[in-house]
This record gives sequence, C-alpha cells and structure tokens, in this order.
Amino acid sequence: MLRVGVDTGGTFTDFVLLDSPGVRLHKVRSTPDDPSRAILEGLRDLLGGRTPGGVVHGSTVATNAVLERRGATVALVATAGFEDVLTIGRQARRELYNFDVTAAAPLVDRQRVWGLRERLAPTGEVLEPLDLGSLEGLAARAAASGAEAVAVCLLHSYANPAHERAVADALAARGLLVVASCDVLPEYREFERWSTTVASAYVTPLMTRYLEALERRLGIASLEIMQSNGGTVTARAARRNAVQTILSGPAGGALGAWHVAAEAGIGRAIGFDMGGTSTDVTLLDGGPGTTSETVVGDVPVRLPMIDIHTVGAGGGSLAAVDAGGALRVGPQSAGADPGPACYGRGDRFTVTDANLLLGRLDAATFLGGRMALDPARARAAARPLADALGSSIEEVAAAVVRVANASMERAIRVVSVERGHDPRGFALVAFGGAGGMHAADLAAALDVDTVLVPRLAGVLSALGMLMADVTRDGVQTVLTGTGPGGHAAAAETAARLETRLRAELAADGAPPEAIVAERAADVRYRGQSFELTVPLTPGLADAFDRAHAQRYGYADPAREKELVNVRVRARVPARRPAWPRAAAVEHRPEPRHTSPAFFDGRVRDTAHFVMEHLRPGARGDGAAVIAGEASTTVVPPGWGWRVDEWGNLVLTRAGRRTRHASRRGGR
Amino acid sequence: MKGVRIDPLEFEVFKHLFVAIAEEMGVTLCRTGFSPNIKERLDYSCAVYDGSGATIAQGDHLPVHLGAMPLSVRAAIDAMPMRSGDMVVLNDPYRGGTHLPDITLVAPVFIGRDATPAFYVANRAHHSDVGGMSPGSMPLARELFQEGLIIPPVKLVDRGRVVDDVMRVVLANVRTPVEREGDLTAQIAANRVGEARLRSAVSRYGRGRVSAYAGALQDYTERVMRATVRQIPDGRYTFSDALDDDGFGRERVRIEVAVTIDGDRAEVDFAGSDPQTTGGVNANFAITLSAVLYVFRCLVPDDVLYNAGIARVVTVRAPEGTIVNARRPAAVAAGNVEASQRITDTVLGALARALPGVVPAASQGTMNNVTLGGRWPGDGRPFAYYETLAGGMGGRPGLRGLDAVHTHMTNTRNTPVEALEHAVPVRVRQYAVRRGSGGAGRFEGGDGLVREYEALVPTSVTVLSERRTLRPWGAQGGEAGASGRNVRVAVDGTETVLGGKASFELAPGERLRIETPGGGGWGR
Repeated sequence: MLRVGVDTGGTFTDFVLLDSPGVRLHKVRSTPDDPSRAILEGLRDLLGGRTPGGVVHGSTVATNAVLERRGATVALVATAGFEDVLTIGRQARRELYNFDVTAAAPLVDRQRVWGLRERLAPTGEVLEPLDLGSLEGLAARAAASGAEAVAVCLLHSYANPAHERAVADALAARGLLVVASCDVLPEYREFERWSTTVASAYVTPLMTRYLEALERRLGIASLEIMQSNGGTVTARAARRNAVQTILSGPAGGALGAWHVAAEAGIGRAIGFDMGGTSTDVTLLDGGPGTTSETVVGDVPVRLPMIDIHTVGAGGGSLAAVDAGGALRVGPQSAGADPGPACYGRGDRFTVTDANLLLGRLDAATFLGGRMALDPARARAAARPLADALGSSIEEVAAAVVRVANASMERAIRVVSVERGHDPRGFALVAFGGAGGMHAADLAAALDVDTVLVPRLAGVLSALGMLMADVTRDGVQTVLTGTGPGGHAAAAETAARLETRLRAELAADGAPPEAIVAERAADVRYRGQSFELTVPLTPGLADAFDRAHAQRYGYADPAREKELVNVRVRARVPARRPAWPRAAAVEHRPEPRHTSPAFFDGRVRDTAHFVMEHLRPGARGDGAAVIAGEASTTVVPPGWGWRVDEWGNLVLTRAGRRTRHASRRGGR
Repeated sequence: MKGVRIDPLEFEVFKHLFVAIAEEMGVTLCRTGFSPNIKERLDYSCAVYDGSGATIAQGDHLPVHLGAMPLSVRAAIDAMPMRSGDMVVLNDPYRGGTHLPDITLVAPVFIGRDATPAFYVANRAHHSDVGGMSPGSMPLARELFQEGLIIPPVKLVDRGRVVDDVMRVVLANVRTPVEREGDLTAQIAANRVGEARLRSAVSRYGRGRVSAYAGALQDYTERVMRATVRQIPDGRYTFSDALDDDGFGRERVRIEVAVTIDGDRAEVDFAGSDPQTTGGVNANFAITLSAVLYVFRCLVPDDVLYNAGIARVVTVRAPEGTIVNARRPAAVAAGNVEASQRITDTVLGALARALPGVVPAASQGTMNNVTLGGRWPGDGRPFAYYETLAGGMGGRPGLRGLDAVHTHMTNTRNTPVEALEHAVPVRVRQYAVRRGSGGAGRFEGGDGLVREYEALVPTSVTVLSERRTLRPWGAQGGEAGASGRNVRVAVDGTETVLGGKASFELAPGERLRIETPGGGGWGR
C-alpha cells in the first residue's frame, strides 16, 4: 500500500512516500494562502497518476490561526460572575521590570462573553440549578451574534458535565458549532481549561473548512491528521477537536527522530531540531514524553502533547552588543527575509554567518549548492561587533557560536536535568537546517558521546507522521486515594474511558482487535498541586515515590498520596516497514577538498564531504564538514564520524566507546 | 580571581549558567510545595550568592525579595559558622527577614576542601501560616510578637540531616503543621538542587572561572545601571505620598523621599518620613531597599541579570525608627506587602519629575491581602489560607494601564477558583474586572477587580489593604484611579463598608467583597 507523509512548513511542504521496500522524498514550496495547493502539486509529482492508499498530514493551520490571530469569531458562555476569567488570567504580568509590559488578549471578544446563572460545588453537587428556560434566549443571542463557534465553560464541570451538556445541546439545536470544556479537558483549574476550550472553538471552523476541502480535492479514502500528542486521527475526528492538531509539525519531528534513533539501536536520545529562528528540544526515553502544560503563542493549551521545549534561537538569530558591553545572540532573528548576511540580502550578523566565517559552512556546497554564500558580506556584518568588543572577527564569530550553544544547552538541560535525567546516557539526534553544525559542541558540553544526524534530517517530520499510531487520549479527574479502594475506583473510570475510546476508534474504521490501550494515573502527595504520571497499576503508589525521587531528589513514602486524574490512551499501532539498509563496507573516502577552519581558537585543516556522495561504511575523523542537501554537519577535532547501514551520519567522541552500539546488525 | 582573564564574549554563557540554577531551584520548590501560596501563586524567590553573600543571580520571581534576600544571607553568615550540608532557617524581620510568613533557607556551597564557602544558595517562600494571633499570620497586630513564630537564624539542617528539635518547635507553633513540613521539605530540596548544580558547574569550568565570571557579571550589571542613571538629568527630585492608615486610628502615614542624581550615581533619602506606627504597616530597611532597587531596575532597558551590581550604584538612606526603617519590636506584617508598594509609588513620583516621558502613573498601590482561617466541618481540621488580589496598573506614556494585574513589588498568581474551593470551605461568588475604576487620561489607568467570598463555615478573616481612602495618583495631568472598597455582605444582603484594615468573623452565608483600586491615568 502506498502511504505518504505530508508536512506543511512555513517555507517548504515535505513529502515522504513509503512504497515497500523504498522510501522516496519530495519537497515543494509551500503555498501559505491555500496549503492544499502545494500538497496536491507535490502528490502529483511524487505519484504520477497513482492513488495513495493513505495520506498522513501534519498541518500548521491551527497553529498559525492562533499565532497570527486569524481564527474564527467565537463566543463564550460562562458561569455568571466569572465572565472575565480569561481577561484576568493568572493575574500576573509577564515581565517584572518593564513599565511597558503588555498583556495577551483573550481569543474571544468580551462582548461575546455571556454569563449564565448556575453553580456547581467542587464535588459536582448542584448548588444553583440551571434555568433551562433561559437557554432559548441564549441560543437566539448566540445565533444573532455572528459567532462561528461557541465555547461553553462552567465552573467545576470536570466533576459534573450535566450543565455544560444541557447548554451545548440547546445551542447545537440552533445549528451552532459548540465546544464544551468537559469534552475538551475535564480537569480542574478554570483559566487553563477555559483557555483550551476557547482555543478549540477558535481553530475548529477553519480546520473544518480546510480538511473538507483537502479531502474533496485529494479524493482518497484515508486522510489522517497528525495530532500534538504524537498520534494520528482521521480527518473526520480531527474536525471535531481541531485543537488537538495545534503542534502537529513538531510532534512529527520528535517521532521521526525517535524512530530513526530506535532503528539505529539507540534507546535513549534527545531530539535537537535547530532551525532558522527557533530550536525544538525533546527528550526521547523509550519514546517521546508528553506534557499538558503547553502554551501556544500567548494561549495556554493544556492537552497532552509531546513534550517539546522551544527556545527562540536558531541559525538566523542576530548578534548584538548591549549597553553593558556584552555580546548577545537573539532573540531577534533575521528570519527568512532578509536572512543571514551571507545570504546576500541582510547586513546584520547571525549565527549562520559566524559558522561560515569559522569555516564550518562551505560556501560552494551549502544546501546542495543551490544557494551561494557571500563570506565578504558576513565579514562586513561582523565588523561593527568586533570593533565594539575590541576583538578579531574570528573571535567574535567563535563567541557567537558559543553564546548560541549556551542557550541551546540550557534548553537541553530543561528537558533532561530538570526532569531528573542525566543527559550523559543519551545520544543527540540532530536535525533542522542548523542542528548538525552545533550538535557535536553541545554533546561535548553535556558529556554526551554520540550524535546521530539522520539521513532524512530534512524531512524528518513527514517521516515521523508515517510512523505515528492512530491514537485517542482520554482523561478524567477522579481525586481519590492511592490505596486499594482508590485504585479500584480509578480502574473502573479507566475501563469506562477505554470502552469509549475503543468505540470511537472502531467508529473511525479501526479493526477492534488491532486496538491497544494503556492506562495511567496522575498522582501527587496530598496537598501538592503538580502531579506525576505513572502506570495505573495496584503498585502505583510505589511507582510514584520512585518517580518523585528521580524528578525532585526526594520522596516521602509515608506521606498520603492522591490519585488526581486517570488517563487512557487507545491506539492502533502503525505498520512500520523495515528501512532499506545497505551493507556497510568500511572505507575512508577522499574529501572533496580540504580547507582551514577554526576550532577552539585554532586553525585546523578540515576535510569537506558531500553527504549524498557518502556510502554506508564510510568513516573519517574530525575536523570535517559534511554538507547535505538539507543541512550541514560539523565534526570537530576529537570526534570521529561514520555512515551507518541506514545512511545516517553517526558522530562519536574519540577515545570513548559508543554506549549505543546497535542491537541489530551493528558494530 | 587571579589568573583568570575575563572574556567579554563569554558573559552570556555564564549568565545562562547562573540564571538556570536559580530557575531550576524555583521549579523544584513550586512542583513539590504543598501550600497553594507556593504551588499555585508562586510566592517565593530563589537566588545564588558569592562567597561574601553578594547576589550573583536571582530568578525573576518577586521584586519585594530583591534587596531583602541578600540581607538574609548576610544574617545567616553573621549568626554562625556553616559547614557543608548545613542550612540556616530564619524569618526574624530584624535579623534578615521581612515579615514572619516569609521563611528563608540559606545553604553554603563548599568546593573541595575549602574552609569557607565559595557560594551560597537561598530561597524564600511565603508560608500561609506561622502562628500568631490570627490564622494566615497576616494579623492586625500591635507588635511583632503577636504576628507569629519568630525564627532567628538557626540550623534547620545539620550536615545533611534535618534538625528534628528545630522542626518540632516550628511545627508546634503553627496551625497547619503538615503543610508547613511539606513546604519546608520543598525548600530544602530546592537548595540541594542549587548546590548540586553549582558543584557541577565548578567541576566543568573550574572554580576560578566560575568565581571570576560571577564577579564579572556583577560588574557588568553595575555598568549597565550606571549608564542608565547617567541618562537621568542631574538634580534633586522630591515627592511625598502616604499610607491611608495603620489600622489603629492613625491616618495618613507619610513617606517623604528626595532622589538625587549626580552623574552615574543616585542617592535616595527618606529623611522626613513619619515615625513608625502601632499597626503592622512598618517596613524594615530590607523592604525599603527592595522597593528602591526595583524602581531603578525598571529603568534599565536591557534584560540584565538582577544582582549586587545594581545596589552599588544606588545609595539608600532611611532614618531608623521611621515607617521606612522600623525598630524592633514594631509589627511588620503589612510592611512587606503594603508599605513596600507605597515606597515604590513615592520613589516613582520623584523620578517622574526627572523622567516625565518614562514613568507611569501610580498603579493600585496595594496587594489586597486576604487571610481566611477556621476549621473544616466534620473532622475539625484547621485551615489557613492567604492570597493577594491584583488591581489596576497606572497609565503609561503611550499605553493604557493593564486591567486586573499585579504590579510593582509582587507578581504572585491567583489561586484558581476551582482550586480554592477544593482547598478551603469557602465559595467564590464573583471574580470580575471592576469596570470604570481606572483613572481617566490620555492613557487611562487599568481597572481593578472584584472578588467576592462566601463563608461556608464560621471563618476568621483579616484584610490588610491600602488605597481605600487615598487614590492612586495620575501622572502628567491624568486623573487618579478609583480607591478600593472592602464590603461585608450580611446573609440578608445588607452591605457594610469596612476599613482598609479589618479583622472579623464571617458567619456561614455571610460574604466579603473586595473591590481593588484602579490605576491612575497618564497625561490629559
């Protein structure tokens, strides 16, 4: 069966075609005004007249709608007296020492927020009943308001959804698109739940139109949509809960990185995706982890998503000298236009310019030779900085790379050390345009011995989408103990959730026998506010103590625990074809040429290779620069490199045996 | 440090290093804390100090802790020699603390076999009860001894082991000992994280470099601060503002300030301010210092690291025995939260004369402290709860003030209504923006907010609030914001307006409505 992964990015739309036994790649320019045009064009190029058996698509439609504030006109029905919850937020300002600090405007206009008299207690008990008679008027008002979608958010609805359901039914009867908070996120904390619900209402109409048009034009049976949680859903299901797709692109990248690493026999890795303006970092410990604390733009979206930490530093980050005479890199970026000075349009110095001046980029082979780089322009851009700092241009360039690395290193520590994982046991999987240039230096700083640059680094997100399982997540707040009674109650809730999720998957066409389900519990010490997720088993209390000790450095087994939420994930495992693999015949290829480059302040002869010319088994020692179609990899002195059986580039620190010898057929 | 060349190109690398340590301590404290005040409202600060106790980096937590935390570290150092694995606890406002609920834990970091610590780490967290005359320990008191348990600098951890005797004394004096023990354990864990991260930095970069760059970062912040002060026209700028009352009948407690700018130096002198008062609106010197440093930090355009470098540029003089430098045993519960805001307003008012196009109008000027306490129905377990409420931000040159947001010396988050109702037997009846409360002007002041609580059981309430009679001033011709109102609503709906400082019992079904002040407007 022909399956195609399609990732719509800002600049390019990437395609990966799996056609056993082959993999084919394709890229076309994105068409931001109507992303489906690029998709159709790319599929035509790739498939000729053939019809794909399935397309898995990662879409930025929902993300961009929120980031650029181009979503639907929405209305909000809230418990009377609490209409301003989204305006007040958490009552904190986002910068402490800035008189001119601004606030994020809610996605819903205050004129379209309507209070409704009703009230529940935290237990779900009805304190003030809903006046069913008032719903008629409310529905009429909503219909007349011009709202394309209505969010229904009532206090304590996670404990009792009856009021929200009654309101939603009355509005839906008028033909309105309704999103109820008890369906989106049945968890306590009103601001975060309501914010997520309104975000869902905000992106759903747009996403629905987009997916309907895409399905129609593709004319295929199976369109799957990548979700932020790392699984896919049918397009039909995605239309119902579009907010789930909000970070589908980066989720695909994390999955792609994980599958490439796993295939190469690496069990624990850190995904490091460094692009032009930002860098995404993901911990991959037996797979990507999930978090429920994501903020998209200014908007908290508290759904289970792959835990991706993003920092605003990339190849295009601008260098500057501040009032105190210190060198800064970012957060301002040269973006795609004008881009780094060496691209020929901009005149401010960026991280990419610094890499070029240090000899770590080859002006002739950059991006397969499609883009000529202008070193003289980069030097001119560095001159004002060098003058201000009293340093040479090469010193400035080296410092810009070091400063950029420091912020990347901090990002990696956030996902590893702060989560209780020592990065030393992990490999770095580097991708994105600039990932391979910085990976080895970062690995050395973190005491990591192995760097993997996937052969398909340029299309890793599209690849990851093909590897994703069809997935449904369910969560329910239970607030019970962790003893046998609590566990039994939670297991009962989990069973109900599982039955529902299985039925939903089956309704979307999944064979019932292929569905697997996993149950987990969010647990905390009674009185804490943040939970850790552990498998839902009778031994969950001990598992929680261990997890707490790992994450925070201490545990108190005698302290009473609380089981807060039950989580169920139901999925249909994707069929993952074996990768095409070539026998690795060990050899040391001749470099294309050799030229000087700076490492640690010294000039070193550096061998240059073209990635696409290297065959499995090729190996060599740093200093080397390996230019690929999509990215360039720098191998510093003290590191060795080789091409593995799958065509990936593997960097290893000299004098250390790799801890990630492949399990299968590897050395 | 001898032999280490400071490379200006590497500042940023070390800045990331130190900030990350302070932040990681904060994450640990927040995630493992037990009281809503820590875990939901983030009422804490974490910082890293050099061997002399000077700040290297403080996390972006709470401004009111800025100048005060280093004085805690100083007090701990002066009190006793510390060995590796020790931690000193304190809350005495006259020995390194600010007000009693803020408990600070200081830990030395020894490197190798050194006899003296190379660094210190410390964190301060606001505990929602430390005993005293009313639940929540933010009482309307006449002297410090009524406000709660006073902890001078003593060891809470001795060579890695919790000192059980000290812990037991603390827990015996508070209303909610289980929560307190959990919070103190979280504070210990946060310091341990800071210590471990400093050690690993030293083993990676070498002690000489880490120390040298710590010093260089302080010098760097000082340079930026001097460059900023140099931009202010030389001169002597005065302003006067006042607290509404002290809660015991004394009204209009005045704060006077003269800010003198001379080249790249600033002197801030509070001579002429009123004597300390009976009620707890007194500030100790640490609070006054924090307020002044906060204002100057806001003038710096760049995102510099907050550290000891700022304090080198600004001299603060506050006569002893006054409202801005109270003497033992004056009550201080509201000094940290209320006087601190007024001191900020006063210094800003003076600077507005030097920098009319930069300084905003007055913000709400209070934190609207609400404490609730009582017993749960059924098992009779005690509860004690504390929160502060946001209000209007003053209009800025070019921007309207923000609505319903914490300003100046605090930035604690709210407790979600759904979390609050789980945590205490109280129902929230309304939580809304108080429309029309911001002052008019070319750029209006932001609106305050309204929060109404209904007692479900007999509940002791203390409200400490300000700007209930005097209004937040407008700037450059803008109008003042609306003053706040505290209203008690009887079961039959009868409303009684309370004073700014009030302590009373609510019967089940009775309500308390707090309407917070709006910000002043800017420009006419």
